[in-house]
Amino acid sequence: MSVLRLEQVCRSYEANPPVKALDGIDLEVEAGEMLAIVGPSGSGKSTLLNVMGTLDRPTSGRVWVDGAETSGLSDAALSGLRAARLGFVFQGFHLMETVGVVDNVATGLLYQAIPKRQRRRRACEALTKVGLGDRLDAKPTQLSGGQRQRVAIARAIVADPALVLADEPTGNLDSATSGDIMKLFADLNQAGATIVVITHDNELADQLPRTVVMRDGQVVADRVKASDMVKVAGGES
Amino acid sequence: MIRSRVRPGDLIGIGTIGLRSRPGRTALTAIGIAIGIASMVAVLGISSSSKANLIAEIDSLGTNLLQVQGGQSILGDSSPLPVSSQTMIDRIPTVTSSASVIQLDTKVQRNRFEDEPNGLSVLAVGAGARETLELKIASGMLIEGKASSLPVVVLGSVAAERLGIGNVANGVTVSIAGHDFAVIGILNALPLNPDLDRSVLIGDQAAFELLGVDPNPTTIYLRVRPEKIEATRPLLARTASPMAPNEVQVSRPSDALEARAKVDEGLQKLLLGLGGVALVVGGVGVANVMVISVLERRGEIGLRRALGAKRGHIRSQFVIEAATLAGIGGLLGAGLGSVVTWGYATRQGWLVDIPVTGLAYGVGGALLIGAVAGLYPASKAARLDPAEAVRPHA
Repeated sequence: MSVLRLEQVCRSYEANPPVKALDGIDLEVEAGEMLAIVGPSGSGKSTLLNVMGTLDRPTSGRVWVDGAETSGLSDAALSGLRAARLGFVFQGFHLMETVGVVDNVATGLLYQAIPKRQRRRRACEALTKVGLGDRLDAKPTQLSGGQRQRVAIARAIVADPALVLADEPTGNLDSATSGDIMKLFADLNQAGATIVVITHDNELADQLPRTVVMRDGQVVADRVKASDMVKVAGGES
Repeated sequence: MIRSRVRPGDLIGIGTIGLRSRPGRTALTAIGIAIGIASMVAVLGISSSSKANLIAEIDSLGTNLLQVQGGQSILGDSSPLPVSSQTMIDRIPTVTSSASVIQLDTKVQRNRFEDEPNGLSVLAVGAGARETLELKIASGMLIEGKASSLPVVVLGSVAAERLGIGNVANGVTVSIAGHDFAVIGILNALPLNPDLDRSVLIGDQAAFELLGVDPNPTTIYLRVRPEKIEATRPLLARTASPMAPNEVQVSRPSDALEARAKVDEGLQKLLLGLGGVALVVGGVGVANVMVISVLERRGEIGLRRALGAKRGHIRSQFVIEAATLAGIGGLLGAGLGSVVTWGYATRQGWLVDIPVTGLAYGVGGALLIGAVAGLYPASKAARLDPAEAVRPHA
């Protein structure tokens, strides 16, 4: 079953001449997949992530998230969809500096009216999953960049979303730490999470089973690694 | 369909997170509101303390003193009371004491050669004055018994000051209608009868015998059993002057003091208005800080929208934040205003009366002003495009 489907999605911005950030995108992401969307800066990657994450609406075309067609949904309904079914990881981490890591992660469950005790318990579990089980008492300011991004990833997965969208998750990290973060994504994917990573780093994209290449708002290539194709084919037979 | 929902308790937590992470800014902004609330609480507190004090003063002076005066006839001539009026009034069973006073048509001077206008009047008082008017002597003695027919005088507190007489030890005299009168006493101030402060008192017998004064009283003061004041009052005019009751004026000196307690209200309203202006300025300060806060926290707003917050949740967050900010100011102001009231009233030697309802209104008003001040920045925050807000800062 596909957790995400885009059909002829266009997104243009009013300007003179109009800017077409997305130009007829067709894309489908199956449950359990992990893929990279790669392309040079200005190719429309971030706009695509925003449209996939329902933070932005397409000018034309249709988007399905977890089986729901989004064009007919109100802003409040889209908020509900994001709260329960989507997880986001941003380049800039977006952590609250004055709040401990557990409460930062627990914010991922805030908008589902889950009681605080339960939110904190699940936050601790998510932090353990990302390898920060020993830093539960820390504040973000006491952590390294890689650890902070792990906290942000824990926040994205704490609600057990159908899809995790990561926008340049290693953009602020050195290469060794970047590798660790990508390893973490791979582990989470192995455990069942569906993950879309947006990056401008071809080398990093090549590590992932599927790579969607964008240029000028269009998908110019959609490659699946041969080994994974075999695996997917084997799994389906 | 899954709905985005926040527990009410959590909404308070979200609404105060911004304040908790910037304590310095929170304190400075709250001070603006605090000054407004403090000044309003202090105005209310100080004026109500002053009023409480005045009322206590009135109570201690007694509200059962009545005053019967000859008024004016229809033709405009002043008409003194009949000679028998004091005797008649004394027969009313609810009257406990009385004193008659005759205002003399003459002046008092330091000596017979002086002729400066000094605004002082000369009164001849009969027996019962000490008890009825509760005269208290500051120095010397009162005119009583046989002294009533001697050329002696007791000065009201203001009169003594104007005549430049500080004590009675050296046998000072004053001149009344060409006669020298020996000063034998100086009175304390009489809050219920300030007219007596600006008078000099001589014995009624002396007035009749030495100055040939007409014995018709100008004013009769009387004390009534406190629970019978209203019952006695309508009887007095007819009793004092059965022939011309319409020309008699009956009044109660404590009414004038009570009126003074109310006079303050005009000034109080003005000061409250100034406090209100300070409060509005504080509210504008809150709105200003909230607008800046929304600009600074674009990333946080975008993140919350990504985590599933509805526009309404973002709006509530900032309205609660503004209201809490102003509420903190309100509490600070209520405390500060109470301390100022206490300090001022204590220094004046007044009773301290801190208006509890005023405090409640102050804090409530501050919350309201904060919420209103937060509406514009909150709706600005709610309208932010989430895709725009999550974008890293340029």
